[in-house]
Amino acid sequence: MTSSSPRPHVRISKAANRYLVFDIDDVMYLRRNHNICSVFVGTMPQAPQQSAFMGLPIELMAEEAQVLVEKNVAFVVDDSNYHPARIAAAGPQDKQYIDAIKTVTGDAQRSMRESTEARKAMFAYKGASKKKEKKNKKAPDTQSSEDVTVASSADAEAAATSLFDTTPEPAAATTKNSPVTREAPEAWLATLTTSGALLTPSPGQEEPIASVDVPASYPLYAHLQDKGYFMMPGLRFGCDYNVYPGDPLRFHSHFQATGFEWNEDINLLDLVTGGRLGTNVKKSFLIGGRVESEERQKDEAETALDVRAFSIEWAAM
Amino acid sequence: MAHPDYLTDLASTVYENLESQHDWTLLESHIHKQSSSLVENNKTWLPRPLITGLPPRRLYLHPDDQVELVKTHATYTVDETPEIEWVVPMHLNEKFTLKQLAEVFDSLELPEPLAEGRCKRLLMAIVHDDSTVVYYFVHDGIVKPRQN
Repeated sequence: MTSSSPRPHVRISKAANRYLVFDIDDVMYLRRNHNICSVFVGTMPQAPQQSAFMGLPIELMAEEAQVLVEKNVAFVVDDSNYHPARIAAAGPQDKQYIDAIKTVTGDAQRSMRESTEARKAMFAYKGASKKKEKKNKKAPDTQSSEDVTVASSADAEAAATSLFDTTPEPAAATTKNSPVTREAPEAWLATLTTSGALLTPSPGQEEPIASVDVPASYPLYAHLQDKGYFMMPGLRFGCDYNVYPGDPLRFHSHFQATGFEWNEDINLLDLVTGGRLGTNVKKSFLIGGRVESEERQKDEAETALDVRAFSIEWAAM
Repeated sequence: MAHPDYLTDLASTVYENLESQHDWTLLESHIHKQSSSLVENNKTWLPRPLITGLPPRRLYLHPDDQVELVKTHATYTVDETPEIEWVVPMHLNEKFTLKQLAEVFDSLELPEPLAEGRCKRLLMAIVHDDSTVVYYFVHDGIVKPRQN
């Protein structure tokens, strides 16, 4: 296969019959050049307990994956097979990846150790100053247990307020003096934020190309996609696709589109409900499908995009 | 091939509805292709009976025309210039296919050619047993919705 664009092909991971794109550059490329923006389905690390705003990856509709494959700008990899095979095949060529893990774990371990020490030193410093204060406050002969508790609780308050004023300087100074007892460092495990290095196949390994199972409405999708429309899943308007005339961030959708086969029976009530709903939300109800005729069967491959579509609106009478 | 009776009856129901309830004028029923009806013994049947008529007000305004009219502040003139509409009567219990719809559009012979970038349109009249008739515009192609 030869690529018409200088850009490397977009890698679409197929996992559990979902088509995912993990690379943000690919996502931007698809949105800018191929009017595909699709749906973000990943949890956002900064806000993991909400589902209103999602992050990478994006989940492509099967139609989107198929269109990209047909345009020769993407390939679909069967990730459930590829991933374990790739890890099993890890060898010396993955030195970079393993080094990266080592660096990350080393860094994490070091910073953890430093923060633990700093905390210990902080406590040591506070403890020392508390004792000093107590000695100054109380005469050495009147050390009843009651007084101590009162004083210490007062001191705790003082320590709490002074917590933010203390400069790290004295803490650092005491660190050197205090004897540090350290347990043997455990081996740390790290998960890198990207496993991009493992996405390149090891020498002699082929990426298993997965097939795309497109629904029957695919011809209508491909037709609209070819005309530059942006399509989003149509559930919220009871159709196959929500069709936007441009980027959904800038436009309202114009159509609710549902694909049919050329000789498939359409209930008139479906047309009425679709048309009525569409008019209520200022859209047109679009139906369409691939034209099938006697000539078509002869040279099917050439005219893959012979699609006819009809727009339906309530006539307000 | 003559149309079955129920299609002819459906057409007359819609015809009467247009005439009496919606005050359409210049109503005409069509069962043959217009171009073929001049020659007496060589008539081509339409896939379905069709009706043409003139509504009292303009029923459809393309959104692009609407933008133009708003620019020239001439929106009030639209109502007074109705256009002849084509109506295809259907019954709610019928099923149809894209193929049938395409055939109906292909059989339409408009008296004057369409403007650049415009598609044919039909008014689909859907009849139910309680004699309710609802009307939907069907455009032959991807036509953006009207701005209400």
